[in-house]
Amino acid sequence: MHGGQAGRIWVRIGLRSVDGPVTVAHACAAAVADLGTDGAGVSVMVSPTARETMHATDRIAGELEDHQLTFGQGPCVDAFAAGGPVLVGDLDLPPYFDRWPVFTPAARASGARALFALPLQVGAIRLGVFDLYRITPGPLDRDQLADALAYAEAVATLLLDAAEGSAAQDAEQTSRRADPTANRAEVHHATGMVLAQLDVGADEAFLRLRAYAYANDRRLIDVARDVVQRRLRFEPDPPVEDGGG
Amino acid sequence: MSERQAAEAFVELADTLIDDFDVVDFLHQVTVRCADVLGVAAAGVLLTDQRGALRVMAASNEESRLLELLQLQTDEGPCPECFRTGRAVVVPDLSAVVQRWPRFVAAAVGTGYASVHALPMRLRSEVIGALNLFDRRTGDLDEETARLGQALADVATIGLLQERAIRRRETLAEQLQTALNSRIVIEQAKGVIAERRRLDMDRSFALLRSSARAGDRRLSDLAEAVINGTAEV
Repeated sequence: MHGGQAGRIWVRIGLRSVDGPVTVAHACAAAVADLGTDGAGVSVMVSPTARETMHATDRIAGELEDHQLTFGQGPCVDAFAAGGPVLVGDLDLPPYFDRWPVFTPAARASGARALFALPLQVGAIRLGVFDLYRITPGPLDRDQLADALAYAEAVATLLLDAAEGSAAQDAEQTSRRADPTANRAEVHHATGMVLAQLDVGADEAFLRLRAYAYANDRRLIDVARDVVQRRLRFEPDPPVEDGGG
Repeated sequence: MSERQAAEAFVELADTLIDDFDVVDFLHQVTVRCADVLGVAAAGVLLTDQRGALRVMAASNEESRLLELLQLQTDEGPCPECFRTGRAVVVPDLSAVVQRWPRFVAAAVGTGYASVHALPMRLRSEVIGALNLFDRRTGDLDEETARLGQALADVATIGLLQERAIRRRETLAEQLQTALNSRIVIEQAKGVIAERRRLDMDRSFALLRSSARAGDRRLSDLAEAVINGTAEV
């Protein structure tokens, strides 16, 4: 029965991949249409801070992934930590403001109303999270949840296949290949620069960047870009803008 | 559904998804839906086994399953040819290929089919099988349908990776995470060097790479050491 479910879902993915080799993007597009949702995002994670968005179907989905990296909280962070799904049919319900006080208003401001985060589990390894959102409230019913899990399985398989396909390639080449997550490299560059500026560890440097973005109500990527462009330096005291900018 | 219920449902569903992935069931569903969306009468799949021999894995109906078997037994027909060449085989009118595949054509026409096409199932450079499409009307596979059919053959191939041994999947998952980690560490090290040496990122990377080569160290190992402060570049 479940092989049949997988077959049905892969055919739906195939119907969207006529334009070229099947990728995570096709699986996301099929899932979004099939599950009555408005967008999806996929992050591969090693830890809540070492993560990379592999795909986002649209602006809102991309912002949801960014918010969770910037604020270190949200359904995806919890789903990764707990290893189970986090299903939020309506973000406006009171518990969610308490649970993610910074993430929830940001997600609402981005336009999301319902969020479903499903861990990408491969045997004993938790590879990342598959996130779906709706702009209107409403839970996934049991059939939709079952299909969402089958899509998560397909997403994991596509990520693994892509990893296998590129394994033969030089790591350098892979990191230089154009990909939608390339601009996130600036966050890592900035982390390294702040590490050197403050003489702290990488985790601490990242938290300082994150705190600065939050305190100044700015996107992490924009703060990182300022650091990389040397418009912003972190001093052992609170950070200050370089004059004359 | 409460979150707790959802979590329980998840564990249950996730377990069955992994345990019960039945290849035949999977391919049967694929052939049924292929026939449906491509607007053909029937579809079947031949796959190689571990020894490289083709086997009938699934078909959308019994007639087409028998035709798949016949192709294997006689080693004639579009499916074996597609598998051998790795290319699509399009037969708009079976009556035109009687001499080429006499037994297959007789059987196919006898069950009411007029045209047949075979699309390769490729995993990177390797051909692992073929998807056969049977129709009761004569006619070419138009370009759009051919592309859609090939896309479906391709996803079916990748979907089959789901049944791989869990250990293999875990290894790949670890490699993917290690690659992500290495990439992050290398990018961070570029930032450290850029700051300390007042270089741009490209030059920082060039310096990191040449230092790694000079010291005969892996790039990611040196990057890690730069971040931990145990190496200077």
